[in-house]
Amino acid sequence: MATGFFTDTTLCIGCKACEVACKQWNELPSDGFAFSGNSYDNTVELSGTTWRHVAFVEQTMPTEDGVANRWLMSSDVCKHCTNAGCMEACPTGAIIRNEYDSVFIQPDVCNGCGYCVVSCPFGVVDLIERFDPEGTHYNLASLSEERVEEQKTALQGHGGVAGKCTLCYDRQKLGFVPACAKACPTESIQFGNIDELRERARARVETLTKRGIHAELYGADDAGGGVGPLNAFFLLTDRPEAYNLPAEPVLPSTRQPAGYTAAAVTALGLAIAGWMIFRNA
Amino acid sequence: MRSIPSPDDAFIGAASRNGEQRATIPTYYDHPMLKWPDWDWNVVTYLFLGGIMGGLGLIQMLARPELESERKLKRTVRVTSFVLAAANPAVLVTHLGRPERFLNMLRIMKFKSPMSLGTWGLVFYSGAAGANVIRELAVGGTLPRWMRFFAPGLMTPVQALLGAFTAGYTGVLLSSTANPFWGSGKRHIPAMSVCSGLASACALSSLLCTLEGNTEPLQRLERLEMVAGAAELFILTDFERRHPDYTKPFFKGKRGEKLRTYTMAAGTLGPIALNVLGSMFNLPKPVDALRVTAASILTLAGGYVLRESLIAAGKASARDPQAAFRQPK
Repeated sequence: MATGFFTDTTLCIGCKACEVACKQWNELPSDGFAFSGNSYDNTVELSGTTWRHVAFVEQTMPTEDGVANRWLMSSDVCKHCTNAGCMEACPTGAIIRNEYDSVFIQPDVCNGCGYCVVSCPFGVVDLIERFDPEGTHYNLASLSEERVEEQKTALQGHGGVAGKCTLCYDRQKLGFVPACAKACPTESIQFGNIDELRERARARVETLTKRGIHAELYGADDAGGGVGPLNAFFLLTDRPEAYNLPAEPVLPSTRQPAGYTAAAVTALGLAIAGWMIFRNA
Repeated sequence: MRSIPSPDDAFIGAASRNGEQRATIPTYYDHPMLKWPDWDWNVVTYLFLGGIMGGLGLIQMLARPELESERKLKRTVRVTSFVLAAANPAVLVTHLGRPERFLNMLRIMKFKSPMSLGTWGLVFYSGAAGANVIRELAVGGTLPRWMRFFAPGLMTPVQALLGAFTAGYTGVLLSSTANPFWGSGKRHIPAMSVCSGLASACALSSLLCTLEGNTEPLQRLERLEMVAGAAELFILTDFERRHPDYTKPFFKGKRGEKLRTYTMAAGTLGPIALNVLGSMFNLPKPVDALRVTAASILTLAGGYVLRESLIAAGKASARDPQAAFRQPK
């Protein structure tokens, strides 16, 4: 069964429970404390160790009686694309599509080449830093001694591998709802059968439109550029770029035919030139 | 109750850091939308050596065994190409961290992934180059004569074909990504990789010939190097002309200056001038050796800087959300 997320940003209250639940369940290390200055968003972006990220979009508009403000909040996540750039790029086959139709990185197969990082049209995948026992990046102090040893072994062995949302593969196998969706207090993050979610999303857009609120779905149908529909799609009230989402993502492999052709033509031309130089000189 | 305005209203979007109202696409605090690679000198070196290795594949086929001087060239080029093919995985391992990680690449072959195909290209190239080296050694008498049957004559064009692939795929590897700068060069970057690889291979061969005192094939190598260099220069110029916006991190600023100085001027025009000089005047032998050495080193340095600039500009391009939102077609 194909499962996925429908993230309805009109319901998001920016509590970041999804971020915390994700970190806890997946035992992801802390990102440290730093203030970004970007509204309440100090998580800043998705990374190898941050698989949910709540964006805080502050907007102002001058009106007759002063200034209108609005605050858009949206919990970003790996899109689990139908045609996933990361999966196509992966040279080891570490990135697979599992039985729930999610894109999953097998950490023991990944060799940390980093090619998926540049092949994700949404800037989701990133490498997990190599383990640095002196570094403060990993919040090992909060763990039991046994867990620290486990984490160290895991990070030493697999530090420098790619990381991203697994759509809680392990929880799904146990029949549980992914941690973020479970923790979401407003049902902004909805988990379920992807077809059902799409239907629900379309109905929601209709309801919002009737109320005079601009709402559009992002990735429920074809996201464009060869990427296809997204298994984690969104309901947005502004254009995608405002949430740091590309309006026109491009699947990287669509650029390959032109590239291979250009290389072959150039090589052939140079070979002919070489042949002429070496035969006739 | 005020209804929430639609995006068509005059919302500024998340204001940029300097507070300017932008006529451009509203971004998310100007935060990069894409990620950039952690690729460093080792990947640059890998791409650079891969290009040379590929170019040597062509040269070993072009050299005619009937001529004594070119037979020597063939032998040198084959041995060098095999050494590079053996060294390149080691360079890759310095990037991956542990040697076993290279083996993970060999568990599957994936046509959609240039990284996977390229790794297999490298492996097969090593095989072909190794076979050709065995042939050279068997014919030369270092190995028993019967061992030449390990490398049929077919291996010569096979190594050339695989060489063209290894030189070209590094360009496709970069250009078939979500990176706006690399993506805008979906034709130019693979083409310039092939040209630069061959030019560098000619330069390395010339250098080795000079060291061996085998000066006869130099003129032909230099001519081929000039053709490849001129083609590279044309492709670079055309790239900037066609994509003035996407190529800004590549051609503009300090990085652009470095590219222009080391790759386009010193690395391409310089050797061409030196080679023209060499063919016009009959220079005394030691002076000519110096000229060839200088031209070769300039070409090789230019090739390295080209790869370095490609990686650095890709990193800069990924940091620009405006470019990332307007993906090149």
